[in-house]
Parts: sequence; structure tokens; C-alpha cells
Amino acid sequence: MERVNRRTTLKLMGLGAALLAAGSRGFAQQTPTADQLVKGKHAKLIVLSQRPIVLETPFDLLASQPERTPKELLYVRNNVDLPGYNTVEGAGLEGWTLEVGGLVDKPFTVEAKELLALPQHEVTMVLQCSGNGRSLYQPRPSGNPWGRGGVGNVTFRGVRLKDLLAAKGAKPTEKALFITAHASRQGNAAEFVRSVPIHALEEALLALSMNGEPLPAVHGGPVRLVFPGYFGVNNVKWVAKVEFTEGENTTAEQMPRYRVPTIPNTHLPFLPQEPGGRYPYTFANSRPNWLVNVNSFIFAPLEGQTVEGPYVRVEGVAFNDGIVPIVSVEVSTNGGRTWHQATLERTGRSYGWVRWRTTLYLRPGEHQVMARAWDAAGRSQPLDGNLAWNERGYEYNGVMRVKFTVA
Amino acid sequence: MVMRKLGLPLLALGLGLSGYLALSQPTLPEGPGKELVLAKCQTCHDIGLVARERLSRERWDAVLDEMALQGLKVTPEERSAILDYLATYLGTTPPPPPQAAEAPTAKTGAQVYANCQGCHGPQGEGNPPLFPPLRGHVAKLLGAEGGRNYLLQVVLYGLQGEIQVEGQAYNQVMPGFAWLPDEDVALVLNHLLTFGAPEGLRPYTPEEVKAARAKPLTPEEVHALRQGLRLP
Repeated sequence: MERVNRRTTLKLMGLGAALLAAGSRGFAQQTPTADQLVKGKHAKLIVLSQRPIVLETPFDLLASQPERTPKELLYVRNNVDLPGYNTVEGAGLEGWTLEVGGLVDKPFTVEAKELLALPQHEVTMVLQCSGNGRSLYQPRPSGNPWGRGGVGNVTFRGVRLKDLLAAKGAKPTEKALFITAHASRQGNAAEFVRSVPIHALEEALLALSMNGEPLPAVHGGPVRLVFPGYFGVNNVKWVAKVEFTEGENTTAEQMPRYRVPTIPNTHLPFLPQEPGGRYPYTFANSRPNWLVNVNSFIFAPLEGQTVEGPYVRVEGVAFNDGIVPIVSVEVSTNGGRTWHQATLERTGRSYGWVRWRTTLYLRPGEHQVMARAWDAAGRSQPLDGNLAWNERGYEYNGVMRVKFTVA
Repeated sequence: MVMRKLGLPLLALGLGLSGYLALSQPTLPEGPGKELVLAKCQTCHDIGLVARERLSRERWDAVLDEMALQGLKVTPEERSAILDYLATYLGTTPPPPPQAAEAPTAKTGAQVYANCQGCHGPQGEGNPPLFPPLRGHVAKLLGAEGGRNYLLQVVLYGLQGEIQVEGQAYNQVMPGFAWLPDEDVALVLNHLLTFGAPEGLRPYTPEEVKAARAKPLTPEEVHALRQGLRLP
């Protein structure tokens, strides 16, 4: 007994887990891995749900591709799975039709393959689930327990919705205040509908490709209606119908889901709640998760890493809704007492994330670094992200903190 | 002496394993109403989404309203039984300890079938065109060469890909139930036999289930297995 000390015991416990994690074809296989659920996904993506498919990108893998998130790594948050579309391969355009109607002077239906003949536009944008960071809220809200890996930076290419309207000689009427998109119901899929303000028409893109390849079926191929600057949920996958409407749609994903409390027509971004409490969501006292809020992530060093000193490279990405530029990213190693300005890779407004970096002089030992972004409208991130606590855990953008050791 | 030496390391190994398994698939704690939750919630999403939550009664109440908006159909009695279960066993405070007075009763196949009935119906009647019937169809599967093994694999590992059942196409994803203990998998398979099975068919055994775990399949491999069956 005396020969089996605590350390050995812990090692054995670790071995038990490691045996399974290494997995071969053991117990670990008993719940499917990401690559088994969605053909072509990286096996290390975290399976938050098998049905509907929800996969999170582990943060170290996200950080390993700071330019653009490849299709193998990009997170998935399906509310509805489209039968047969669980793959990163493209989906056929043949036979896919798109209906455009509602408050438009000349409703029409278009074959998706006709889109190939129209002018193509490209946009690099942050695609982020509005629940990203949910697990950082305390007490834990309901919903998929995302860390910070429900986000990616991708390049979509396709036809602008306004170009399609022009090509068809159609115009939304004066009463059209929202764009309401419906996902396909093929294979008896459940309904998924989402509305965004008509302002989004300017940049709305019927995406046919992602990162230079056919748009992966699991990410909405063959056609996804993307709204640069808007949270993931608004970018309707497998789009079958686009309506111009006077009001927001009334299905559950518009109300009460995917909303935060507000005082309407004020500039308060959200109405703070007593953590753990309830809120009687209505269209009038809350707003949808539309525009992406200012956020920044630290990609290096990673949590728990040991790095060489005394000069330590700190880097990451920052983004907002793309309406105004990100103007600065500051880092602090003393809990926010003083801040040091990092260098931005580029200036100017952008729907994609902006890389930033700086070099800090740090003594050997343990450190904690924080990063905070600001945009030209003066918007930033709260030091205490829990201030925005809401019962479904949306729109977390609290300042990120990373603990690491300088050797 | 040998036992004393090995006991702790084995226990430690076991703890490591159980920690991993608990992470990979949260399951529902035992308690009144559990079967109803299994039956109602798995129609649309996997049960892990429920089992991982810890919410107040108020919040669970709101979640049920939200689910009703998305198609959950329950009677008022069922709703209150589900809410009681969720608030008690998946609440913000630890659940009450199991009552000692309650004699442990043997589990039945019908109880385990609660996992299946949300989609396949209480009597295996199915819910076309979303979920195929089991009644009548299971007998045909079992009558085909390799059908017995297929039925075991599909329950353990699920299915992804289009299939034809009684002239109707189905293409929803079926989740696997590998997280159920061997005994429960055997029980539920034998419950399926009550929907009609070829004469003289021997019941499934927990050992048979255990053996099938040695070589796990992906839901697509299970689909290939089914496509290879010569069904009438």
C-alpha cells in the first residue's frame, strides 16, 4: 500500500483517461467524434451536441490559424440539421431554387445555378455564434456551454442580394423594414426563420463558396444568406426563401431565443440583469442578437503555457460589427491598472478580424495578461463580462484573461 | 495483500474512466418522470442537452414553454411531471438522495424503450415521414441475413443516411445509445421483439451487446450495413 502513493494514484487516474482519450477504438468511440458526425471535420472539435450538430473549435486549434479558419476547423451550430448535409463537401446547386417575395414589387423565383452568371462579390467576415463565451457567465445560463471556440474568420463569395433584385427588376416596398430568411424544409427538416433589419440589404450576400471552395453543405451550402457584421444565427443556411417584411418573424429563434434585454430606443447596449434571474422577453423590451459586439481574443500565449522571457510576444485578434474601424487593442499585465497599446495589423473598417500583437518585458514567474479592444465609435469590452448576464447567455464580450508562465 | 496493493490503483483507474465517460455523454439521474423526459425530449435533440443543464424551476418552466413553441406536445399532467423531474434532479441544488425504502425493482424493456418512443411511437408505430415504424419492420430485419446484428448495431451506434421503410424514404439522423449499459440495450432489443419477430428467435443477451462494443461503428458504417441487407 505504501508503495502506491498519491502521485502514482493520480498518474493511474490519468492513464485511465488517457487510454480512452487516445481512444484507438475503445470506450472513447462510444460517443461519436466530430469527424464521424460531419464528414471532413477535424476529429478534435468538441461535440457539444450530436443532434442537432453543435461542434466547438478547441481554442488552441482556432489560434493556430490566425488568418482564416479552414472548413475542417470552423465551428458548427445547427438549430436544425438538414438530412444528408453533414459534410464539409459542397452541395449541388442543381435543382435548388430560391424564392424572393413579401413586400417587394415583383416577387420571383430563381434557380440557384443562375446565380453563377451574376457578378460575384467576396467578403471576409467573422462568423460567431451569439452564445460564444456562454460558459464564462456565472451562474451558468442554459444552452450549449461554449468556451471561446464558437467563432471563425472566413471568406464568403457569392451574389449580393441587392444585385439579384436589380437583375430581376424587383424592389422592396417602403413598408419593408426587415429581411426574413427561411431555411429549406427538404427531407422534412424543421422550420428555421430569422429576421434582420432592412439596413443589412446593403451587404447581404447569397454565398456560394467559402474560403475559395464550394460552400460546405454543413455550413449552409449550396446557398447561405450571409449578413457581414451580424451574429451567426442571422446567416441563414440552406436558404430557400427570402421575404421582405414589416415586422420580425415570430418563431422561437427570433423570440424569446437569441435576444438580450434592453430599454428600447436608448443607447444602452443591454439592460443588466440580476444573475440567475428571469426576464419577461417581449419584442418591445429586448433586442435580437444582430450586430456583433466588440471583442478581442488572445491567441498567444495560450492559457497555462510556459514561454521564454524576458521579451514575450503577445498576439491575437479583434473585431466588431464592421460599421466603424477597430482603433486600438490594449493589453495589461497588472489586472487593468495600466494598459499598453498593441500594434494593429491594419486600420480601416472590416467585417473580418484584425490581428494585433505586442512585445512585453516580463520577469520569470506567473503572469496574467488581459486584452481589450476599442472601436472608432468608442465601444469597448467590459472588464467584468458578467455584467451582461442574461438567462440564455448571449453576447459575452468580457475582457479575456490568460495565465501563463515566463521561464 | 495482493488485493490491498491493487485495490487503490484499480479504483483510481476506474475513476479516470468514469470521469471520461461522464464527460462524453451526460445521462439523466434516476427519479420519477425520467422515462417521460427521455420519451419527449429525444424526439428533436439528444438527451445530453437536457442532462448537462442545472436550472431553477422557473427557468425550466420557461424552457418548456420555448420547447412547446418548437413542437413539444405534452398534456398538462405530463408537463407538470416533466417540470417536477427537471427542477428536482437537474436543479440548482443537489437532488434528494434516493429513498432507501424503495426496493430496487428490476428494469423492464418497456422502461428502456422510453428512449425510443419519442420518435418511433409507444407501440412502435413510427411517425412517418420523419421516423420509421418498428412494428412489423423489425420482424423483416430479423428475417434477413445479418439483420440481427444490424439491429444491435443501429441501437448502439445510430444511423446516418437515407433508408427505405415500407416504401417510404427516411433521412433523419438516429443517435446511438452506446451510453446505455449492456443490460439495458439487451432489454430494449428484446422489447422490440415483442413488436413481432420470426419464430424461434433467441433473445439478445448483455454478453452479445458487450461483444459488439469491441468494434464500434460510425453511423455511416451502420448505414452501409443496412444497405447490404437483402430485405423483402
